[in-house]
Amino acid sequence: MIQNPCILTDVTKCIGCEQCVTACKKINGLPDPGAPPRPGSTPDGLSADRWTTVIREPDNHFVRKQCRHCLEPACVSVCPVGALQKTPEGPVIYDKSICMGCRYCMLGCPYGIPHYQWDSANPSVRKCIMCYPHLKSGKVSEPACVTACPQKATIFGTREEMLKEAKKRLHAEPSKYIQKVWGETEVGGTSVLYIADISLDFLAWNDGRQLTSKPLPSLTWAALKPVPFEFIGMGAVMGSIYWIIERRKKLMAEEAARSGKGEVPDGE
Amino acid sequence: MENRRLFVFKGFMWVLAGLAAAVALVRFALGLGVSTALSDSTPWGLWIGFDVMGGVALAAGGFVMAAVVHVFHRERYHPAARPAILTAFLGYGAVAVGLLFDLGLPWNIWHPMIFWNPRSPLFEVAWCVMLYLTVLALEVAPFILVRTPFKRLGELLSRLALPIMIVGIMLSTLHQSSLGTLLLIMPFRVHPLWYSHLLPELFFVSAICLGLVMVMLESSVTSWLYKKKPETEMMSGLARLASFALGFYFLFKMADLAIQHKLGMVFQGSWPSDLFIIEMLLCAVIPMVFFAIPKVRRSPNALWFLSACSVGGFVLDRINASGLSQVWATHNFYFPAWTEFSISLGIVAACVLVFLFIEEHFPVDPHTLEQTEKEREELSRSLPVFAPFDQVWLGEGWRKSARVYSFLFVLAMAFGLTVAPKTDPALQTPAKRAVGSDILMMGPGPRHVYFNHKKHQDEAGGTKSCGLCHHLHQKGDVGTPCVICHQKMFVPADIFSHESHVEALGGKASCAQCHGSAEPIKVAPPSKKCSDCHQKDFMAQNPVVKKFDSKWAPSYKDAMHKMCIPCHEEKAKDPKVNQPNLGRCGACHNGGSATEKSYAAEFPPTAGGAGKN
Repeated sequence: MIQNPCILTDVTKCIGCEQCVTACKKINGLPDPGAPPRPGSTPDGLSADRWTTVIREPDNHFVRKQCRHCLEPACVSVCPVGALQKTPEGPVIYDKSICMGCRYCMLGCPYGIPHYQWDSANPSVRKCIMCYPHLKSGKVSEPACVTACPQKATIFGTREEMLKEAKKRLHAEPSKYIQKVWGETEVGGTSVLYIADISLDFLAWNDGRQLTSKPLPSLTWAALKPVPFEFIGMGAVMGSIYWIIERRKKLMAEEAARSGKGEVPDGE
Repeated sequence: MENRRLFVFKGFMWVLAGLAAAVALVRFALGLGVSTALSDSTPWGLWIGFDVMGGVALAAGGFVMAAVVHVFHRERYHPAARPAILTAFLGYGAVAVGLLFDLGLPWNIWHPMIFWNPRSPLFEVAWCVMLYLTVLALEVAPFILVRTPFKRLGELLSRLALPIMIVGIMLSTLHQSSLGTLLLIMPFRVHPLWYSHLLPELFFVSAICLGLVMVMLESSVTSWLYKKKPETEMMSGLARLASFALGFYFLFKMADLAIQHKLGMVFQGSWPSDLFIIEMLLCAVIPMVFFAIPKVRRSPNALWFLSACSVGGFVLDRINASGLSQVWATHNFYFPAWTEFSISLGIVAACVLVFLFIEEHFPVDPHTLEQTEKEREELSRSLPVFAPFDQVWLGEGWRKSARVYSFLFVLAMAFGLTVAPKTDPALQTPAKRAVGSDILMMGPGPRHVYFNHKKHQDEAGGTKSCGLCHHLHQKGDVGTPCVICHQKMFVPADIFSHESHVEALGGKASCAQCHGSAEPIKVAPPSKKCSDCHQKDFMAQNPVVKKFDSKWAPSYKDAMHKMCIPCHEEKAKDPKVNQPNLGRCGACHNGGSATEKSYAAEFPPTAGGAGKN
């Protein structure tokens, strides 16, 4: 299997036929129709049984939504037990046997990708895994959704190739596209890239604004790195305060005994 | 029996616990979908916001009092230290229980012990909960063990009290701040008024404030329950400390906002900014100002009210930061289901009951213990008392109370089991009902169309044809409106929708995709069959697609008439229905449009003209 696999979706080419969805369901053995969408969640069509979907935007724009397989995934960094893993090749996968169901990954993901099996008493977190097991075993040479696309609107290759291809298309038809590759730098870069003639900022949370280009895990790591020092520092401070006050009290008691006045102040 | 106030209070707690027990059964048997209003956009709700975030913060009294009394040697606060540590222990117990409810796979709760990811803030939280719960158990143990045969062990532990307490303070520092770290990963979700790189520090400082006010609230409530004299001296000292701590917190928060240039947001007048103002007034500003007034500090009622106000404000802060403020980004509002409230309240109630039990039987507060023991002794010497309205003897003293409490618990649990939801609300959608029943009412009343689902399904090709009308192929998906197939008013129509194909393929330029490349394209017979494009469609298994080439639907008029008239004519003859004019055109065509009026004139709804029903 190739290193740094990447999917490039050209929104201008998608006709919204949803064959990618069918192919995804088939290869991953997802039930069809599957669980209904959970009330109260964003109605983008994604669910625990539907790992990719096509969002219909005004003026016949179709935007395929799926896991972005970030280069520095927030979901992987926040998982307390490491049930979500970034594979050495690149795709982000999930191991149910480790998961404890805290759903922190669902909050950590800036794109709202991981979905939960709400209707089950033994639920998993589910999302696109870029057909990792099938690519690894050699069953397929590219993710099923890419193979299924009749328009070649979504293509597969290494991240370098895809970035090059995206830039080539932007350069060839500058009036057609917005001059931006979505996923190139957002949250440190993703392995699912988009080029489009409409803004795709709606794919992320953040009230429609652009995401930071900083990898999200660096935000928590900045606070977590000094934890051992804080722990020991707090112990040292508390211990020494105790020792100083205790010693002062002892000295004062001795003084009081010498001058014969009694009464030990309680440290106030 | 206990004093009436305590009896009613405990009875109420048992009712809450009973209700929660019923909901707990539903939660573990049927999953989170049935028992919560959580969704993929709001995966954390009341159980995390209140039980875990709030619970940990409320337990802050334990480490704050341990530091004040044992490290800083402020001995006059000693009476508050033991109850505070006990509360912290129970609070952390409640956090652990709350987590069991919230985790999707609660039997894996021990996983952080062997599967490590030190880069996750939640990993730090998990370890802090485990370690600090252990430390708190060791802190509580001496005054529990003193009344058991293991007295010696208790004495050993109390000799180690100081190092244990310092470890507790160290762990609490980490833990309170790590709850803030949890939110650092989501700058895109947490509203800017709450998001800050100093969230861990802000959470730590606010935990210290909350610890102080919580101790005051607790002391007030137990004095009221056991009708004790309030510890005015100690409380006014705590209030003074609290006013400094709250002032510091307020300044810290404002300075943090100012540095990030966010002060202007506070007065934006939006929903998050209003929430922020309410929160700051409740938790810091109001209590800080009043605690600074010496006269207020000496009034037990004022202290009770102000500490409750501050505690409420800080709990609101945790709920805001971990949930409410995120509505800003997700645009999906979440309101907890009653079952979620029930579990949260039930856990609190259980903690309160355990707290009162320990308070009454172990030397947490020597006064309470003395008082209840005296009462118990008096009761053992008194005569049997009959319950006033039914003259049933329920036993004496604690036996009587216990019987009333268990009765209340069982009753509440039975009630809970009756009313608790048994199926996921998402499954009760129209399409789901359509599978079970043949006829479905569509459109707003009173003029429904009775849609014969089974007939349509049979004609379209059985159960595999759902996708024809329910395009998204999901249970909750609404079907195609009638006019999409029954397009023409008076003549049958091909259900192939030319318009939507033109639209989907990209306007006029795409004609050639179906009609061949001949230029110019005029009225041409379709050069493609449906199956040429839709072969691999999501309707791939759908037998209809293959013979889709000439699928005709009756005209709108015929479809509607065929559906309504036979039944109307039949009912018109039925003497029991007693509406002989039901079969006439005017019975339905009596509406406001000009066409309808002409119908009504030509075919009046009643044989003898207007007037009759």
